[in-house]
Formats: sequence, structure tokens, C-alpha cells
Amino acid sequence: MTLDPDAMARLLDITGSDQGFVDELIDTFIEDATSQIEALRSAAAAGDGEAIVRPAHSLKSNAANVGAALLGDLARSLETDGRTGDVPDAVGRVASVEAEFDAVRDALLAQRAAR
Amino acid sequence: MNAARILVVDDTPFNRRLLVRLLRDIGHETVEAENGRLALESLRAADAQPVDLILLDIEMPEMDGHETLAALKSDEALRDLPVIVVTGVDELDSVVRCIRMGAADYLPKTVDPEILRARIEASVAQKRMRDNERELTATVERQRSQLARFLSPQVAALVSSADGEALLAGHRREITAMFTDLRNFTSFSETAEPEEVLGFLRAYHAAMGALIVEHEGTLEHFAGDGFMTFFNDPVLQPDHAARAIRLAIAMRERFASLSADWRRRGYVLEIGIGIATGYATLGRIGFEGRYDYGAIGNAIILASRLSGDAAPGEILVAARTYAEAEEADSELRAEPGGERTLKGFSRAVPTYVISDDAAAAVDGQPAAEGATT
Repeated sequence: MTLDPDAMARLLDITGSDQGFVDELIDTFIEDATSQIEALRSAAAAGDGEAIVRPAHSLKSNAANVGAALLGDLARSLETDGRTGDVPDAVGRVASVEAEFDAVRDALLAQRAAR
Repeated sequence: MNAARILVVDDTPFNRRLLVRLLRDIGHETVEAENGRLALESLRAADAQPVDLILLDIEMPEMDGHETLAALKSDEALRDLPVIVVTGVDELDSVVRCIRMGAADYLPKTVDPEILRARIEASVAQKRMRDNERELTATVERQRSQLARFLSPQVAALVSSADGEALLAGHRREITAMFTDLRNFTSFSETAEPEEVLGFLRAYHAAMGALIVEHEGTLEHFAGDGFMTFFNDPVLQPDHAARAIRLAIAMRERFASLSADWRRRGYVLEIGIGIATGYATLGRIGFEGRYDYGAIGNAIILASRLSGDAAPGEILVAARTYAEAEEADSELRAEPGGERTLKGFSRAVPTYVISDDAAAAVDGQPAAEGATT
């Protein structure tokens, strides 16, 4: 699991250290990513490469926001392959995305609980 | 900088919330849309408040950034709205395409607040400048067309020309001045209904005004039943004396058909015209807030006195004017009008009376000699 602490520090910095707002952003990220992963899972199950593109793109962009570099990379490679219409081992890769997301989410929530 | 109203278009709630927060932190108002279609809908809504700038995401469902930009740029009302494209790191190709399509600028998704502030300020300032320019141009156009309605076309053109100021400041020039007024107008206006009087005046002004424009005279003023028109200023007209007489003849003819109508209703109205040529001082006359383009000189007073002295339907012209006119236009015909003693003129003024058929008379019909009033 990767989570760049700089990304969180930066969010705090640009919002004037508004921790409450940053927490809301993280909740938004978790909610949004959960539904994107849901969409990825059904697209992979259906073998629909094109349907992978949009949720993969959004997840990539969301992951970059919180500094989840590995999650972002996994999503990017799904997006890139999705654009060709052929995503090898889609189901397995979406499962990796899901596992990485779960770890990122747990880490983010643990950070909050530790404060 | 004043607060701007900014439309944030992004399908990712995280991005939208963050951008909205950062924009509010630097004092701007925000509106949000989840995709291009909804953005266009909100911009085109009948009750839409105007927006100063759009922050546009590229990858969006339903209608993406490229489609949105294309729709904005082909919409007359939205074309000039600045659009800043917000892009991820691997979307540089899209940025180039967006800028070619007319985007004002771009911002990376992981935006630095200082860069956000600077780019928004620059785009909004540019938009405000364009808005001001457009407003200014519209105002100048409006003033020009209003001016053309209030002033003679020649004077309106002069005011907006490069050497206008020097001419407006005052200059001396030979002009031919013409006074036109009506006999029996006072008794007509006392006996007729006010609405009738106004109706008549409107028709009279419209008819005479059209002739003045057609003959390129400068209308100095009209007051009730009277007109003062002059020639050779601000536009030079070497045949100014002949032009004035031709206009007078046209006015008399036009007036005859206008007044025939009124004669049937029992009102006998007649036109009287006086014309004189001489040097005058021309330019801006009046006071700050209300200037007229005016003429001052003996010729103007003389034209006014001649019009007062003219018999009903008569065009009474100073001898000097007729001499000049005859040289320029050999078709003009007149009879000597005798020497007139006029108020304010120590010496009697020799005059001519323009013949009724002056325009029609072509060759050799000698005018009756020695006719006086």
C-alpha cells in the first residue's frame, strides 16, 4: 500500500489547515472510489473493456488527490488498456485495485482515529 | 480584484468541492455543474446569473470538456466567456487541443492556490476589459446614431471626425443662409385643436426635413413653424447659393401639396422663404451641457428679415445670392424684387423673387421685368 503523506499535508496547507474540511474531502474520496470500484467490478465481470475506461479514469484522478500512488497506477493501466478495448485479466486486476483501495481507506481512517 | 462568479464543471465530487473551497477562500462566488451538458443548461437558463469564468474538467460523462468548449465557442452569447481547462498530468494533448479551441488557459488538477488565484485574476481581468470595450463601443455607436438624429448629418459627421474640434472651435466662412416660416401659422395654432397643430407640424417637419437632407443643407435649428438652414458649412459647397434656391423651390412645391389638404379643412397656410449670402462665424454656440452648431453673421439676419418680408408663397433672395446662384445654375429664373427696407439695415437691400416655374423654365423665357411688391 502506498499513501504519500505529502499529499495530505498539501491538502491541509492549501485549505488553511482546515482539518474538518480535509476529513470531508477524504469521506468524499472514499464514497466516490467505492462506487467507481463497483462499476469496475461489473465491467470486468461483463468483459466490457470500454465500460472500464470512465470509472478507471475517475479513480485515477481521485487517487492522485489523496496521494494513493499505487492505486492511481493500477487504475491508470486499466484505463489505458480499456481504451484499446482489450483488458487482459480484468477481473484479477480489479481485485488488486480493490485490495489496494481497502488498504488506503483503512490507512486514511486510522490516521483520523489516531488524532 | 472584485469577486468573480465562477462556474466549476467537474464530474468528480472531490475536485469540485476542493476547487469551490479554494475559490471561496480567495473571495469568489461559485456555481457547480457535474458535466458539460448541465453546465450549458445552467448558463442558458432564462434566470441564469451571468458568470465571469468557467473552470472546465476534460474527462466527464455525458458531455466532455472538448464538446462543452465547442458548444460554448459556437454560442454567440457565451463565446467570450473565458474557460480555464483543469487537467490531469497525462492530459497534455487535450490541453493543446483545448487551447486551440479557444480555452483561455489551463490548470493542473493538483492545483496550487497561488497559481489558481493568479490565473483567475488574469482571465477575469481580460474578460472585464473586453466587456468594457464592448460597452464603450456600443455607447459610442449609440451616441453617434442619437447624434445623427439630433444634429444635421453633416454636423454629426463633423463631431466624430478628426478635425472636428478645430472646426467646432469657430471659423469664418461664406455661407448662404435660408429662413423658412409660415404665414397664418399663429392664427392657425390658435383656432385649430392642439393635436391638429402637432399633427400638421410633424408632417411639415418630416417633409421639409427630408428635403433639407436631400439637398445637403445644414439645419441649424427649427422652432415651431420656422427653419434656419445654411449651405457651404461644415461641408464645402461651391454652388451654395444655387443649392439654397433649389431647396427653397423644392420646399415651396412640396408645401403646396401639403397645404392643399389643410386648405380643404379650412386652414390657409402659406410658406415664406428668405435667402442671403455672406460671411458668418460658425461653430459651437451655447454653454457646457447644451451646445448647438450655430452661425452668426449679417447674412443670417438678412435671410431672416427677407423671409419675414416675403409674400405668401414667395422666395425672396438677396441680389448678391441670386447673382452667385445664376452663375452656378443657369436654369434658375427670378424677377427683380425691388429694394427692400428692412429692420436693422440702414440701406435698402436689392432683392430677387424666384419665379414659380423657375425649375421648369429652361431657355429664354424672360422673367417679367420690374415687378415689385
